[in-house]
Amino acid sequence: MRPGSDPARARLDAKLLEWMREPASPECWPQDEARFDGLALELFAFQFERIAAYRSFCEGRGRTPRTVTTWREIPAVPTAVLKELSLRSFDAGRIAHVFRTSGTSAAVRGALELDTLELYEASLEPTFRVHVLADLAPGERIEMRILAPSAAAVPDSSLSHMFATLLPRFGTRESGFDLAPDTVDPEALVASLRGAAERGRRVAVCGTAFAFVHLVDSLAARGERIVLAEGSRVMETGGFKGRSREVGRGELHAAIEHCLGVPVSRIVNQYGMTELASQFYDTPLRFPEGPRRKLGPPWARVRVVDPVTGDDAREGEHGMIVVVDLANAGGVCALLPADVGRRVGDGFEVLGRAEGAEARGCSIAADEILGGGA
Amino acid sequence: MSPEREICEARARLLAAGAALRMRSLEDRLRVLGALLEALRDPGAAIRSEWETALAGTTGFDAANLRSGLDLALASWDSAALEALAAREIGPAGFAGAPKAPTSRVSGFETTSVLLGGALPTPTVSALVFPLVLGSPVLARPSRHDPQTARIVERALDAIDPAFAKAIEIVDFDVRDEVLLRAFLDAPCVVATGSDATIASLAAKVGPPRRFVAHAHRISIGVVGPEAFRRGSLGEIARGLALDVALWDQLGCLSPLAVFVVAGTNAVATADDFARALDEALHEIERELPRGCVPIEAEAAIARARSDAELRKAAGLDVSSHAGATHTVVREADSRPREAPLHRFVRVHPVRDEAALRDAIAPLGPHLAGVAIAGFGVLREAVAGIVLDAGASRVCAPGRLQAPPLAWHHDGRAPLLSLARVGDLE
Repeated sequence: MRPGSDPARARLDAKLLEWMREPASPECWPQDEARFDGLALELFAFQFERIAAYRSFCEGRGRTPRTVTTWREIPAVPTAVLKELSLRSFDAGRIAHVFRTSGTSAAVRGALELDTLELYEASLEPTFRVHVLADLAPGERIEMRILAPSAAAVPDSSLSHMFATLLPRFGTRESGFDLAPDTVDPEALVASLRGAAERGRRVAVCGTAFAFVHLVDSLAARGERIVLAEGSRVMETGGFKGRSREVGRGELHAAIEHCLGVPVSRIVNQYGMTELASQFYDTPLRFPEGPRRKLGPPWARVRVVDPVTGDDAREGEHGMIVVVDLANAGGVCALLPADVGRRVGDGFEVLGRAEGAEARGCSIAADEILGGGA
Repeated sequence: MSPEREICEARARLLAAGAALRMRSLEDRLRVLGALLEALRDPGAAIRSEWETALAGTTGFDAANLRSGLDLALASWDSAALEALAAREIGPAGFAGAPKAPTSRVSGFETTSVLLGGALPTPTVSALVFPLVLGSPVLARPSRHDPQTARIVERALDAIDPAFAKAIEIVDFDVRDEVLLRAFLDAPCVVATGSDATIASLAAKVGPPRRFVAHAHRISIGVVGPEAFRRGSLGEIARGLALDVALWDQLGCLSPLAVFVVAGTNAVATADDFARALDEALHEIERELPRGCVPIEAEAAIARARSDAELRKAAGLDVSSHAGATHTVVREADSRPREAPLHRFVRVHPVRDEAALRDAIAPLGPHLAGVAIAGFGVLREAVAGIVLDAGASRVCAPGRLQAPPLAWHHDGRAPLLSLARVGDLE
C-alpha cells in the first residue's frame, strides 16, 4: 500500500493489479463477466462515496450502490466535462501525474489526474502485447519505431508515456522515438524507417495517425517506397482534426501498405483517449480470421447504446459508445466519449465523433469554432 | 460518358447559353427570374408542391416545418425584391451609379460554378439566381443533403422560359474525386458553401485571378434585454426565438444556438425566467412544427451535452436545465460559449451589461451571422451596434431570423456585386 493511501482504494487496486498481472495470451484472455461485474460494482460504490459531484449526479438519476445491480447501470460521465471538472477519489495533494488532451489552451484541455501510474502501466502492457505483438514468442523483442514525441519531451502526453512504458519492455535496442514535439520532420521519419528496413528485421511502427499521413505524403512526393521486413506491423491512433489533412482510415491504411509494404491485415488502429486508462485495439493480428473489430483488456468494457433510451443497441446498429474502464480507479470508471460506434461480435467498431449534426446545415457546434473540440 | 467529360460538356453548353443570356437585357433577366421566385413562393403552385414533397423525402425535415420554413423565408422573395436588389447594386442597364451618369459597369462572369451545401433549400435558390441576374450561367453541384432543390429550380425555370433554363446545368459527382472537383472548379467564378475545412481546402484550389465566394459555417444568437421582463413581453419574445430555433431544426446559419440575457446584477435569475419561457415555447411549437429526423451522432451529442449540464450542476455550478422529448434549454452560469449539439438545443447565458455582452460574443464574432434582439427599448440601436461590430451581418427581431430579405448581405457581402466584375468608367 502506498504511504497515506486510502485503504479501500488500495484493496481495489490490489484486486485489479492481480487481474492485470495474470497470464494473458491472444488465444486465451478470458473476459470473466462475473469478476468484471463484481469489481465494477465495488469500484462504483467507492467512487460514489468519494467523489461528491459524481454522487450527486448519480443520485439525480436514482442510481446508487443500492440500486445499481450490474456494471451496465453505472452512470457514465461525458469526457468533455473533464475539461472543467476534476472528478477524482483522492485529494489534490496526492496527484502524482496529469495527462492532458491535445489542445492549445489549458482551459479547454481534458485531463486524467492520477495518484499512481501503477494501474495505468499494468493495464497497457498486456493489452498492447496481446493485440499488437500477438505473434511474438514470450520474451521476444521487436524493433519499435515510435512516430510520436518522447515522454521526456511531452510529459503530459498519455500516448508518449504509453510508448515510453512499452519500449523498454518489448523494444530492441535500436528502437526509439522518431518525432520531435510540435513538429513533424518527414525527412527524419523517412530516414529512420529506411534504416529499419535496411536492417531487414521485422519492425513495429507505432504512432499518431497524422504522423503517418505526413510520412506517406512525404514518401509519395518523392516517389519512394520503403519495404519493411515481412512480419512488420503498424499501430496508429488518434484523429486528424486540425492536423495536416483529413484522411479516411481506409485510405490511410491503404497508403501505409503501399508506402511501407505492411499489409492492411497487419495494421492496427488503437482506440484510446487521455481520459481513459485502458486502450482498445483492432483485432487483425490477434484474430486474423475474424471480422476486424476492437477489443480491450478484460477489465475494460464498451457498450454501444441508444442515446435516447440508454438501452444496448442491437448488433450492427449505430449507437453511442460508453466505456467502463476499471483501470480508471482514481477517477470515474464509466465514461461517455464523443464517439459513436456499433457492436461487431464480441467487440465494436468506432464510426466517428458524435458531431454529425453540423453536416446537414450551415450551422456548427460552437465547440468547434472555439477550438475546444480536440 | 465519363463524369469528367460530362462536366466539361455541361460547361461547353453553358458557354453558349451564357452568350445568349447576356444578349438579354437586365430587365428581361429580372422578369424571368422574378417569375421563377413567384412560382417557388406560391404555396398553391404545382412546382412548390413538388418541391416540398422532394424535400420531405431527402432532407429529414418534417413536412410542416418545411412548409412553414419556405413560407416564411420566401414571403418577401418576390419579383419586386429582386428588382430592388438589382437597382441597389447594379443600377439600370447594368450600370451602377446614377442613371444619368453611370460610373461603373457591372457584369457577370462567363460561367459561375456553384458548389451547394447543407440541407436548407432557400440558400440554394439565391445561389442559383444571383449569377443569372448578372448574365452568368451556372454549373451547380447539389448538396448531398438536398439533392432536389437545384433540380426544382431548373425545372421551374424551364417551365417559364426554356431558353433561359439552358443557363443552368446540374452535375452530380463525388467531391472527393480530385479530378472531377478540379474540372468543376475550372470557372472564372466559384461559389461554395461548406464546412470551414471544406472551404479551406477549396480555397487552395481556386486561387487568383479567379473569384472565390465562400460561405463557411456561421452561427446565430439571440440577445434579450431587461425591458423584456418589465413589459410583459417575455412570452412573445420567447415564442419568436422558439420559432427561430424550431424552423429548420436549428441547422441553418440563421438558427440561434444561444441566447444572451442582459439583465444587470440579477442576470442569473432573469436568465432562468427566460430559459423557462423558452422551454415552454419550444414545448408549444413542437405540436405545430415537429422536429424532424435526428441522426444518431446528433442524438449522442445531445445526450452527452445534457449529461454534461447535469454533472456541472451536481458539482455545484449554477446551471439549470429544461428538457423536453425534442428540445433542451440549458441556463448556463456564465457567458462562456459552449458546444451546441443543434436540433433544438439552446443555451441561455446571463450577461450583466452591454460591455459584458461585447466580451461574451467576441469569440463568436468571426462566425456570427444573424442576431435577434429584443427588450432593449431605446438602447436597441446601441446593442445592434455592438453585435454588428462584433461581426454579425444581420440584426432582426425574434421570430424573423429565418426570413432574411433577398438583399441580405450574407456574410457581409453584396449579394450581386460579390459575384460580378465591376469596371469603372472615368
